[in-house]
Amino acid sequence: MAPVLSVESLNVGLRATNGVTIPVLENLSFSVEQGKTIALVGESGCGKSMTALAIMRLLPEAFVVSSGQIMLDGEDVLAAPMPRLRSLRGNRMSMIFQEPMTALNPLYTVGDQIAEVLRLHRGLGRKDAAEQTLALLKAVQIPAAAERINAYPHQMSGGMRQRVMIAMALACKPKLLIADEPTTALDVTVQAQIFDLLSRLQDQTETAIVLITHDLGAVSELADDVAVLYAGRCIERGRAHEVIERPRHPYTRGLMACVPHLRLGGEASGAPADLDEIPRMVPPLGERDAACAFLPRCVFADEICRSQLQPPLQADDGGHCVSCWRWKEVA
Amino acid sequence: MSVFEASGGISKPIAPGPKPAASPGRAALRQYLYSLSGIAGAVILLLLVAMTLFGPLIYHVDPLDIVAAPFTPPGSDALLGTDYLGRDVLAGIVYGGKATLTVGAIAALITIVIGVTVGTISGYFGGAADTALVKVIEFFQILPPLLFAMVLVTLFGQTLTTITIAIGAVSWPSAARLTRAEFLRLRGLDYVKSSRAAGATDRHVMLRVILPNALPPIIIAATLAIGVAILFESGLSFLGLGDPNTMSWGLMIGQNRNYVLDGWWTVVFPGTAIFLAVLAISLVGDGFNDAINPRLRRRI
Repeated sequence: MAPVLSVESLNVGLRATNGVTIPVLENLSFSVEQGKTIALVGESGCGKSMTALAIMRLLPEAFVVSSGQIMLDGEDVLAAPMPRLRSLRGNRMSMIFQEPMTALNPLYTVGDQIAEVLRLHRGLGRKDAAEQTLALLKAVQIPAAAERINAYPHQMSGGMRQRVMIAMALACKPKLLIADEPTTALDVTVQAQIFDLLSRLQDQTETAIVLITHDLGAVSELADDVAVLYAGRCIERGRAHEVIERPRHPYTRGLMACVPHLRLGGEASGAPADLDEIPRMVPPLGERDAACAFLPRCVFADEICRSQLQPPLQADDGGHCVSCWRWKEVA
Repeated sequence: MSVFEASGGISKPIAPGPKPAASPGRAALRQYLYSLSGIAGAVILLLLVAMTLFGPLIYHVDPLDIVAAPFTPPGSDALLGTDYLGRDVLAGIVYGGKATLTVGAIAALITIVIGVTVGTISGYFGGAADTALVKVIEFFQILPPLLFAMVLVTLFGQTLTTITIAIGAVSWPSAARLTRAEFLRLRGLDYVKSSRAAGATDRHVMLRVILPNALPPIIIAATLAIGVAILFESGLSFLGLGDPNTMSWGLMIGQNRNYVLDGWWTVVFPGTAIFLAVLAISLVGDGFNDAINPRLRRRI
């Protein structure tokens, strides 16, 4: 089956004032099939959100797609003229933002905001749109939906607002949903509910999801595939359970080691295991080497790493790719 | 059943439908009525408007006619006294309000329409359009407003129309700057991005998403603009650049300014009228601003 979204060698750059283009995303490729979820993981500043904005073509000023291809359901998103793009957004592909507190317009009721999308893309009348909106609010399990439809965003909790965002994003049953850290601003129990809701709705709608997160627990629960981004480059990609159980890249292994494990009962009596960290920071824009970007932070770095360019993504038979010269020795 | 299972939209009507929302207009009115200062402002403003609309029907004295000796103090001959030419001050106030309030309202309207349009385009699109428009705004801002207005009025004649346009022409840059700043602040917010991600057009984002959120300071600016325009008109009249054939509160003060010590009433009464009008308008603006903010609306 053809993938719903396929991103081919996407390069995004920041056009500096002196005319130089600083690379932000380099050679990024991934794809998602209908009803599947791919998780983009990585630290802050690795280009996860930029990828999302590039797909939606909502990159901030001065950021440009310098090369590559983004195909949505067989249609070239980067080549779409503005009116076509507007009818894709919200309709075929939609996006949930990180901060439910600020992602809803404070001046309109949540019902109005969901209905707006339906009226825009489905051409529904006021009454039909209101009916569908109510059904959507029920579908995202908002209690007392008939009353909440007239509530303003400030009258709702963060979790409720994120549900409203999900209802809005799924209103037109898009082929692709991009969720940019949908639960970062929520507390843990609500996070679990939201992920649960997303996967339930995905089963019903067959929407492909690009999940941007640094919550590896969410990845193992929700994602079918994972792409690990580091400094704008994809350094490991594969089936979610493969990558989580047998990470190959030193960076991915480092990320896994950063996740605390709750130990109960007999296990808890021993001395707590130290929580690892990856020393130093992601190199800032413009200071990324042509060599492996992770090199300065890598404990396994070797002569071969220093003398070569960024290693290509090498795939094994199972489609688990990794961009590391020494992964066989390291793993 | 879930909405997502139905492929062609909703297959059966959902009962009961959503309750009709308390209309935003009615909720806003209710909120407005909670503010004492808003009510006070509205009452004063309504009284002033009623006086200028219906006063002339009741009080038949021509404000330009000489009715008694100059500087007749307030009393039985003339209720609020007469000015340096012996014209009735009360008649001046009753008839002059129309010119003053009209100039204020229309000049403020010109200010806000030009200012908001320029500020919206400049703040939303940014880039070259913004650079060009900011240059235009700056060009108008470095001209001393009173002097510029005086030049316009001197060039195009001392009529109320020219005065109104001149006031609008010198006041719009600050409204434009304010609108632009609000747009710059709001256009990066998540809900603006989110509405673009939902496929909204530029027009929709500008007028239905950003502009309503930018309104509070603009409304304050508009009410201040009415006040400023009234004061401006008074100032021009005070400098002898008013329309001499149309009575206005500013004109009364302007013409009698040399005789403040001979007859305080010639200046104090029109001055009070201006003061009340400006105060009332800004109170109304304040109350209105609170009323349209759903956050402040009481939940009933």
